[in-house]
Amino acid sequence: MQAFRRLQILLRRLFLRNKNSELDEELAFHLDRQIEANVVAGMGQTEARRQAMIAFGGVERTRGECREQRPGFWIERLAQDVRYALRGFRRNPTFTLTILVTLMLGIGATAAVFSVVDRILFRSLPYSHADRLVSVGLVQSLEAQEFMLGGFYYDWRRNQTPFESMTSETAVTRECDLTEGSPAQMSCPTVEVNFLPTLGITPVAGRNFLPEEGMPGAPRVALISYGLWLRHYNRDPRILNRTIEIDDKPVRVVGVLPKDFEMPRLQAADVVFPMTMDEAADRRSNEGIGGPKRVFARLKPGVSVEQAYAQLVPLFQQTQKWIPAEIRSNFRLKVRSLRDRQMQDVRLTAWVLLGTVIAVLLIACANVASLLMARGASRQRELAVRSALGASRGRLVSQALTEAALLSLAGALAGCVLAKGLLQAFVALAPANVPYISRVQLDARIVCFTVMLSFVCGVLFGLVPALQQPREEMLTGRTLASVSRAGLRQWLVVAQIAASVVLLTAAALMLRSFWGLEHQQLGMREDNTVTASITLGPRNYSSGASKMAFFQQLATRLRFGPGVQVVSVSDSLPPGNGHGAVRFGEILVDGRPRSMEGGGTVVTMRSISPEYFRALDIPVVRGEGFRDEDLNSSDRVVVLSQRLAEMLFPAGDSIGKLVNFDHVDFPKSPTWYRVVGVAANVKNGGLSGEQTPEYYLLRRNRADDWVGRGVWGQTSMVVVRSSLPSEETAKWIRLQVAALDPTLPVDIATLRQRVSKLADQPRFQASLVGFFAAIGLLLAVIGLYGVIAFLVAQRTQEIGMRMALGARRTDILQLVMARSMRLIAAGVAAGLVAALASSRVLASLLFGVGPRDPVTFALVPLLLVAIGLAATAIPARLASRVDPAVALRSE
Amino acid sequence: MPPQSDLLQGTLDLLILKSLTLEPMHGWGIAQRIQQVSKDVLQVGQGSLYPALHRLEYKGWIEAEWGGSENNRRAKFYSLTKTGKKQLETELENWERLTKAIGLVLKEA
Repeated sequence: MQAFRRLQILLRRLFLRNKNSELDEELAFHLDRQIEANVVAGMGQTEARRQAMIAFGGVERTRGECREQRPGFWIERLAQDVRYALRGFRRNPTFTLTILVTLMLGIGATAAVFSVVDRILFRSLPYSHADRLVSVGLVQSLEAQEFMLGGFYYDWRRNQTPFESMTSETAVTRECDLTEGSPAQMSCPTVEVNFLPTLGITPVAGRNFLPEEGMPGAPRVALISYGLWLRHYNRDPRILNRTIEIDDKPVRVVGVLPKDFEMPRLQAADVVFPMTMDEAADRRSNEGIGGPKRVFARLKPGVSVEQAYAQLVPLFQQTQKWIPAEIRSNFRLKVRSLRDRQMQDVRLTAWVLLGTVIAVLLIACANVASLLMARGASRQRELAVRSALGASRGRLVSQALTEAALLSLAGALAGCVLAKGLLQAFVALAPANVPYISRVQLDARIVCFTVMLSFVCGVLFGLVPALQQPREEMLTGRTLASVSRAGLRQWLVVAQIAASVVLLTAAALMLRSFWGLEHQQLGMREDNTVTASITLGPRNYSSGASKMAFFQQLATRLRFGPGVQVVSVSDSLPPGNGHGAVRFGEILVDGRPRSMEGGGTVVTMRSISPEYFRALDIPVVRGEGFRDEDLNSSDRVVVLSQRLAEMLFPAGDSIGKLVNFDHVDFPKSPTWYRVVGVAANVKNGGLSGEQTPEYYLLRRNRADDWVGRGVWGQTSMVVVRSSLPSEETAKWIRLQVAALDPTLPVDIATLRQRVSKLADQPRFQASLVGFFAAIGLLLAVIGLYGVIAFLVAQRTQEIGMRMALGARRTDILQLVMARSMRLIAAGVAAGLVAALASSRVLASLLFGVGPRDPVTFALVPLLLVAIGLAATAIPARLASRVDPAVALRSE
Repeated sequence: MPPQSDLLQGTLDLLILKSLTLEPMHGWGIAQRIQQVSKDVLQVGQGSLYPALHRLEYKGWIEAEWGGSENNRRAKFYSLTKTGKKQLETELENWERLTKAIGLVLKEA
């Protein structure tokens, strides 16, 4: 009731402004009664009025105070302040626009980047107490992501002490098909029954797996994802306990996963199956080492990752005894937080981006502060006048606050628009391995944060002039106060320039690194080459014979294409890794003892057709390489890369020697290969990776050679070198694949495109950092320009005097430029020190360029000096054109 | 002229509310009433009276109505509202407590 009444009064106040006349009448009545009283007391009419007036005091002031009692008064005052501020902005459009653009760039860039990195660096994972979740397992040179095998996992699970619970999923997430209704291909992880409880996930409908559902012979059940429930079953609650058909087999749905559920390795999950825990069978599987697993665990409260590691060491030592002696030393224990496991090396990129954008934000803030201070200095007289006319300190402050708020609000609005656009660009640019990138949205909290920051920045520096007691002399002329504040502004400019030196250095290093990456010698020729990645469905092409038949037919068909010169089929392509790999210590040369030396070095393997070296134009430097006769021979032959040949046969006598690669797994009957050639080195560890020793096996006309293992087994890469344009060749490949099997998906790209895709992440980093460095530089230049222009404007009179006394234009030009040069030099020097100190962080992101690359560190300062001087040239020239007669009269 | 006492902050509100308990009054009347009852010790100038009246009105403790005055002129008469009466009671209690406390301190010290 009370509130309603207040609102009523407020509204009446705002819309009916006739109260003033009522107040006047009330006051007049009071005065008249006083006069009457005075007359009654015996004064004359005139004297009575005079005395009454004196006793009454100032009417205007009472009026004002009565008005201020109104509930809605602050709105009136705010509206007044806003009107005043807007008028001020309109009067000075350059100032307003500069501040707005600065804020827009600062807020936009920060909000966009924060939205991307927030998930990576700060936001908690969608599991309960996610900070206690870890990924645990062994790593070795062939597999850098921790894994466990069925052969020892069960012992760990039984005997571990640091974890509340331990759980696993199968290392490979298989594809499965929904074979009812509208069929769909899906991703179907298989997890232990305690997987979801360990992560702290509760289904939104139904239940988690029961322990007995992980027993051998249990009925087939599954949990489905929220997305699948929505898309396929229209969120029908009757899905629970319904039987659906997956891969032609019935499965009962027992629950629906939460909307924001994600697997700890972030792979897609449409249907989740319980893992059948048959320990004995698992230990026997996979040639006696047990099925590979990814293991996750929840730490007991108060146990750190390091403590967990220490407590697991005895178990690890036990497991080491079980690993064959030749490769034992290659295995290490790894325990790390789930977040680290998920983000991998993206974390560093995220930090670098964050650092970059914070530098930009600081530069922007410095600009805003500097501009507001300049404005404050030029408004001192105005403030003094307002203060003399009776404006209280509070009013001046609230006026300054209003202006700061208006500016930051408008800047924030523009910044949000920019951030939206930037985010879209990021998502388009980002390589696939940046987690969550496709789901990134502009975060409201982050927008708030940046708006607050810019507001604080504006208030802080907008308030300085308002808080100073305006002095009377300001009414008459100018003082040195404004000049002293220009000193602070100069420091700001120095800081800005220093920050942009750091930014530019980082950007230049990353751009140079990216350039080197793109233009390095790969050891093969990428022109006129079209590649097709073809994955055969596991249902129709399970046997080696069927795969061989398909690819051989395809190769034959492709060879007859117009302009086709060579066609090759291989399991993988450089500069990517081969899919198979051994450790160097596992390679045995006939007639030599086993050597344990340098055993851990990874040697990668490719299965290829004889045309491979010609298709990629890799020279065979020794021996003959694979011949067509080898295809039908029962002999097994191998081609070594030059690097591997030098390691195995330092004397250069490799041709004709017998080697084997599997004596660790099959010590009794290893498979021997005869070396028939040595091929030149090819980049094969990714674009930025080290040169890996490599060997090539021939896929002969035998079904066994085509049996691939694991996820990659169904995929082969076809390379077609042709004299026709790549679009034509691509069309031809598509046509021929469709003729053999119209249902097969084909991924066609030129070899150059595939190589360039590998550079996605460096490109992303380099372009982003480069972009922000450019923004930072732009803002710093604006700041420098502003300060110099302000100084020139302040010294107009002095310059006029100097010219009147005989200074030439060049002298004035020199005077201004020297001032600016001092600022630039100080900024560049400070920036170089900071850049030298901080660029080491980038080291692991750089390729072929040191973090202290002398070229970069020489060019960046030069660039900054040049740009800085250019920015100064405009005000300097203006100063040199000052007409002494006008300048001297100006005040 | 008798010496003018500075009114404690908030005391004026209390005095106005108390003056209005008997009958609705206009501003001049309230000022006179306070002056007479306090035997000319408390003089309320219009500069503080009218802002206070407006403040109380906006708070909803008193309400105003235009009516004819003793000398047949239009004047604004203020009267206590229900919430105003309640407010007066609590303010009186507060006042009692305060003066008692001050009295204790002055006597003891």
